[in-house]
Amino acid sequence: MPSSEPVTDRIRALVAKRVVAVGAVALAGVVLIVLPFQPLYHVTNTAANIYTGVLAVAITALGLDILVARTGQLSLAHAAFLGIAEISSIGLAGRSVPWPLAIMGAMAITAAVSVAVGLPSLRIRGLQVAIATLAFQLMCEKRIFTSLTLTGSGYQFTRPSFIATDRSVYLFGLACLAVTLVVRRRLAVTKAGRTFLAVRDVERRTPCFGVEAGTSKLLAYAVSGALVGLGGALLALRENGPVTDFQAFGLLPSLQLVAIVVIGGAGSAAGIVLAAFFTSGLPLLLGDKGIGVGIGPLHVFTVHGDTLPLVAAALLVLAVRFQPEGIGGGLVKVHDRLNEVLGLAPPKPDPSPRDVDLIEAAGHAESLRVVPRAMSLTLPVRALLEADGVSVRYGGINALTDISLEVRRGEIVGLIGANGAGKSTFFNAVSGFAPTTGRITYRGVSLLDRPPSRRTSLGIARTFQDMGLVRSETVKENVLLVQNWLARYPGASGILGLGQSLGTEKDLRVRADLALELFGLDHLADERLGDLPYGTMRIAEIAAAVAAGPDLLLLDEATAGLGPEESHALGDRFVALRDELGLTLVIIEHHVPLVARVCDYCYCLESGQLIAEGSPAQVVAQPRVIESFLGRAAAATGGAAS
Amino acid sequence: MSEIIIGLAAGAAYSLMAVGVVVIYKCTRALSIAQGEIGAFGLFYGLRWHDRGLPIVGWHLSSFETLLAAVVLGALIGIVFERFVMRALVSRPPLDGLIATLGLALFLALAELKLFGTNPAKPGHPVGSGRVTILGATLINERLVALALAGITAVGITLFFNRTKFGLAVLATTSDPTVAKILGVPVNQVYRFAWILGGVLSGLAAALLSPVFGSLVPFSQTRFALAALAGAVVGGLDSVEGAILGSLLVGVVESVTSVALDPGWGAVAILALVLSTLLIRPQGLLGTSALV
Repeated sequence: MPSSEPVTDRIRALVAKRVVAVGAVALAGVVLIVLPFQPLYHVTNTAANIYTGVLAVAITALGLDILVARTGQLSLAHAAFLGIAEISSIGLAGRSVPWPLAIMGAMAITAAVSVAVGLPSLRIRGLQVAIATLAFQLMCEKRIFTSLTLTGSGYQFTRPSFIATDRSVYLFGLACLAVTLVVRRRLAVTKAGRTFLAVRDVERRTPCFGVEAGTSKLLAYAVSGALVGLGGALLALRENGPVTDFQAFGLLPSLQLVAIVVIGGAGSAAGIVLAAFFTSGLPLLLGDKGIGVGIGPLHVFTVHGDTLPLVAAALLVLAVRFQPEGIGGGLVKVHDRLNEVLGLAPPKPDPSPRDVDLIEAAGHAESLRVVPRAMSLTLPVRALLEADGVSVRYGGINALTDISLEVRRGEIVGLIGANGAGKSTFFNAVSGFAPTTGRITYRGVSLLDRPPSRRTSLGIARTFQDMGLVRSETVKENVLLVQNWLARYPGASGILGLGQSLGTEKDLRVRADLALELFGLDHLADERLGDLPYGTMRIAEIAAAVAAGPDLLLLDEATAGLGPEESHALGDRFVALRDELGLTLVIIEHHVPLVARVCDYCYCLESGQLIAEGSPAQVVAQPRVIESFLGRAAAATGGAAS
Repeated sequence: MSEIIIGLAAGAAYSLMAVGVVVIYKCTRALSIAQGEIGAFGLFYGLRWHDRGLPIVGWHLSSFETLLAAVVLGALIGIVFERFVMRALVSRPPLDGLIATLGLALFLALAELKLFGTNPAKPGHPVGSGRVTILGATLINERLVALALAGITAVGITLFFNRTKFGLAVLATTSDPTVAKILGVPVNQVYRFAWILGGVLSGLAAALLSPVFGSLVPFSQTRFALAALAGAVVGGLDSVEGAILGSLLVGVVESVTSVALDPGWGAVAILALVLSTLLIRPQGLLGTSALV
């Protein structure tokens, strides 16, 4: 795709992105790689052990961060998980299981424990889940870590020969950290990471993307637990004998892990590593000696090692209050400011969609229609969607009463009616978000028998009245999210880069680019969705729905918030989607002239009942419809009042 | 039988903290896990003033006055923390509030460690050192006072919420702070009230729970607060009655399993209770479905 941007601007943008990453990583690198090997420390084994401890804590915190930043769940039991990981690796290695297997075993055990503790998240969205983890933490302290049989105090084992010294354990730890960072990276660019974010922000709508929210959450707990397992195995190697002190796995360290994640900045690996060093390494390195602040006679005060945890706790409160993005967010701010001063900041792209030649663009985008579908679903049918006696009741309220309608293939069908008439409820019934009775069939398949997350794969996509996407992510990531049902590889194998996952991801990105081009959004692909104007967000949502390769597209008030010209252009897009891509559309629309212009057929709802149907001109002329929209007096004069 | 009575008495002390948790949750949508440490911090100072006398004045607090010190300092910490931290977090995701209170608990516990060292403080008996035997269970006075206070709090807060104008303001704030503010409901006063009450109850709980164990160390009250949080979750996070019922249940379950098996199993039983509640009836025994 040709870009109108000058090359220099693009290079600048690239440099701008790199500097922040390089800066943060360099800082973390100094702490982890340069400092430990300074003459001051490297001779003593104690220092190497302290640094190995920092790595284990950092790995654990990075695992916790996956839960906090990606799924919005908080675990207050990660220190207990770390303890379980260490005793299971010692237990396995002590039973003469080879080391690599013992490490993997510890990861598997910790992942399983983490999933078990995360089970309540399937039933409840609130903070109660955190309390369950707290109860688990307490249980571990009182029952598991106090039991000689469970902690395996009798087992003898020795480090494998290739990591016999404390220093080589530290180097091995750096390798473990690298593995952790790779896993986090893979998570961010594959299906699993995207679905976690969707579960965090728009949980109730995830079935539309073919996502099972529960499975996603448990996968997040499993990945988080597996990483903690790696940290625990590292601690076991460091210990080189049975665990004697369980204080490191108590409630206090559990809360400190949360502090590390928040101070470091949820989602920022470099920030978290730095915070881990500050709270779990520096206090031990400083010890009682302390470090003087100020020079010679200007000595201001001495910071002792044991003051730092208190400082960290204060920092935690201050971070939540004033700097919720933590160190990571702070680095980004500093960097943005620097770019501004140096004039390196890339120019902001025009936030509105580009004009595209619809027919030509649709020609390019034809491959969006190529999606795997069961044979029976590809045969031509007359009516794509049939509703027969559909009712939706919420408690004593009838949101929809006995609605029967049909949507024929290749039509644009309008659904009109006043606010609260039941239009969106009908969409929710089709998507499976409303308690529905009656019959809805799609290509002869009964929808009500299928779980909501399976309906997308039949060929139905939809948008929401209030934007059902992840605003903190880029436009392209959101398009990829909506295409999730096409990512037919297990989330876990995507993290490991196994099987079809790499190829599939590549294909999905091509699809996403095509869809964005079709809607003139290609220049905004890497912008955060939430930063865009409302109208552009709505169009991005439609682009994402089209990228999912549907046959039937349900659009809920697509033109709300758009200006008259934009609405008109969107109407042209609807026609192009039907004529060039062969989609069938149902649109909920308040703007009657648009309905009259693009729709082939129209249904009008009032208070949950179907009051009129026919061609748009016929429907709009019916007195009952006019009354519903404009009131009784207007109906008497045949709508002349309008 | 005696372990049930002891469990009820422990549960009553937990319920003081649990009611604080629920009132703060109802009013501000924040789940406070600092309800143990706030009062403990106050009690640490009370006990120091008991031993060494108030600074400058040199007046030694009596055992009962250490309880008052815990209550007053608890309320002060609540006021300050609400004003400068929690108020700004009301409109943020609920997780932020939880993390902030976690920071407070951590800060207070580590400050205690720094200020008072690792030697446990010896709490006196603020309500006299008597004992009473009920149905084979010997309870010290603090246990009885905790039981009585739990009952009084339950009735008092229910009446307060349902019968007073301020109770109505609390209800309005709970259902929608923005609308309540526009309608002239003093939402900031509601937030402050919640944290003062939370601080007072936390101070009472610390002063009444620690004599049972004869010592007070940093973080020990937070462990009790966990039982209280478990009670609040089991009973339903938005129900004061639920918090008391849940805490009593937690106390009894903990006591019975501890006696029947060993103290470690008490914690296992609490975990099992919380997990099964969340899986079977996620909103808790008396909680509303708004929680799910």
